[in-house]
Amino acid sequence: MLALPALVLLLAVIGYPLLTIILRSLSEPEWGLQNYIWFFSMPINLTVLQRTFVISTWVTLVCVVSAYPYAYLMTAVGPRVRLVLMLCVLIPFWVSGVVRTLSWVILLQDSGVINSILRSLGLGGVRLIRTQTGVVIGMAQVLLPFMILPLYSVMKGIDLRLMRAAQSLGARPSRAFFTIYLPLSLPGVYAGAIIVFILALGFYITPALLGGPRSTMLSTLVQTQVLSLLQWGRGGAMGVVLLVTTFVLLALAAPVMRSRYREAERR
Amino acid sequence: MRLRFGHAACVAVLMAATAALAQSKPVAGEVAEGSLKGKTLTFVSYGGIYQDGQVAALKEFVDKSGVKLLNDGPTEIAKLQAQVESGNVTWDVVDTDDLPPYVYCGKLFQKLDLTKLDVSKIPEGQVGECSVPAMNYGVVLMYNKEKYGDNPPKSWADFFDTQKFPGVRGIDGSGSPTGGLLEQAFKVAGGDPKAMTVADIDKAIDVVRKLGPDTIFWKTGAESQQLAESGEADMLMMWTGRAMTAVKNGAKYAPAWQDWLVVMDQMTIPVGVKDTDASYALLNAYLGKHAQEILAEKTSYTPINNDAQPKVDASVSAYLTNTPERQKQGYKQNFKFWVPNFAVAQEKWSALMAGN
Repeated sequence: MLALPALVLLLAVIGYPLLTIILRSLSEPEWGLQNYIWFFSMPINLTVLQRTFVISTWVTLVCVVSAYPYAYLMTAVGPRVRLVLMLCVLIPFWVSGVVRTLSWVILLQDSGVINSILRSLGLGGVRLIRTQTGVVIGMAQVLLPFMILPLYSVMKGIDLRLMRAAQSLGARPSRAFFTIYLPLSLPGVYAGAIIVFILALGFYITPALLGGPRSTMLSTLVQTQVLSLLQWGRGGAMGVVLLVTTFVLLALAAPVMRSRYREAERR
Repeated sequence: MRLRFGHAACVAVLMAATAALAQSKPVAGEVAEGSLKGKTLTFVSYGGIYQDGQVAALKEFVDKSGVKLLNDGPTEIAKLQAQVESGNVTWDVVDTDDLPPYVYCGKLFQKLDLTKLDVSKIPEGQVGECSVPAMNYGVVLMYNKEKYGDNPPKSWADFFDTQKFPGVRGIDGSGSPTGGLLEQAFKVAGGDPKAMTVADIDKAIDVVRKLGPDTIFWKTGAESQQLAESGEADMLMMWTGRAMTAVKNGAKYAPAWQDWLVVMDQMTIPVGVKDTDASYALLNAYLGKHAQEILAEKTSYTPINNDAQPKVDASVSAYLTNTPERQKQGYKQNFKFWVPNFAVAQEKWSALMAGN
């Protein structure tokens, strides 16, 4: 009963549009699989689909690696410092993604802050904007809170006395970390990674502004089909392909995660 | 006395006739006092200083007719299509790019009844079956003065020649292909734009592709301006309004006007609007001399009323495109070719944009 309002809302704002997208992908301009055949017969679509997954994987990795120590630090410090650390995560989170992306343009461009510093240090400039690296950096920053918050909520539940116990039994700190702490924190890593990965797949603004042609993601192609060409059917088919591919990947990853989860709970 | 009375009667008849004539024959920029009282019109354009300028240009119309003017935007043809298909059209007058009214004429945009508009002051050849121009501007080749010094690029052929003119190029990557640019590229490939075929689109796009991986495809007008101001691109295709602003802000760039590409934003009335005559009244007011002067003064875009004489300073007037000299240098795209091939060209251009 209590879940009813949320359920109705989900059905209305996700279920119905999704159904429309699937229907239109099969019915426009006429009934059949034409839009899907078109998708798989254009090499550019497959290149961009693959690229979308590669970029999202990189973004997820960057987020995990940078969020992990940060979230750990949040559990290790006193309440006042924790509040500051929390605000550092949340304030950018409240700022629009467009604004944050534009500030990355200023930082990353050839005459931007990073390159001026590199040059003044006598190092040559690097091409960051309009490259895949630039897109990954920008997206990782925008998505970082989605990694830090689940990680922190799991980590703060880990009893740190377990680590001390392990060490008193003769484990070196690194060993204690890898056998005790890391497995216990994995549910947080998985939760965060899945959210970040899925959000990254659908990113539009950041790759559009920070990327060049070689970092175009699928959302941009969908936009062209729907908004410039009025090919709702094709746009829909692209969305469905992305969705199905994501489900397949998650289904493949699920058994691994589930066993790890159980393992973590057993310990 | 009798004669006098006759005179007066004559004048009265004449005046009545003129009034009747005025009613049946609209005059650009004019609207009857209070004629749209209680009505609401939604005007859709691209926002920013452009739409602000258009609203300022329409203020007189709003005040006089008593209409309530709502603004929406940005123009998205897909949104308009959704409105037309669902039979609930809330956009009454829509400003679009130059091709859509020709591509979707009669489907999404009404064929215009020219007895309801005064198009006599619109520059020749600009009135379409489904649209009147909204303003004119250009796409112009801007180059870095310091980089090219005494030997600046003079044409699009130079723009595509990276041997003679090395350096980073910036191209409009905001969405749709620019027909005029592809025609210039096709010329470089040895073709004749007037006799272009669908297969030639690939040849033209190949010329653009050959500019190499350093080429920047800018996504927004603001980005193009920023590329000039920071000096990141050595040669840029730019909208004249952005070019002017960049130079005003200190960019050391100069225009090469030869074959600048003529662009005409369009004003349209969607199919299925609730009050067609009210939409016509807005269009007709928009075309007026005074309205167009205000528009040009606020936006620096070129007015589309031949009588309009906007008061602008030198930095702006240098980029107005309606002087005799500029009109001679301008290059008009082959509309007849691009309208039916819009979708094919878009598809191929999108593939280039996606790194293929």
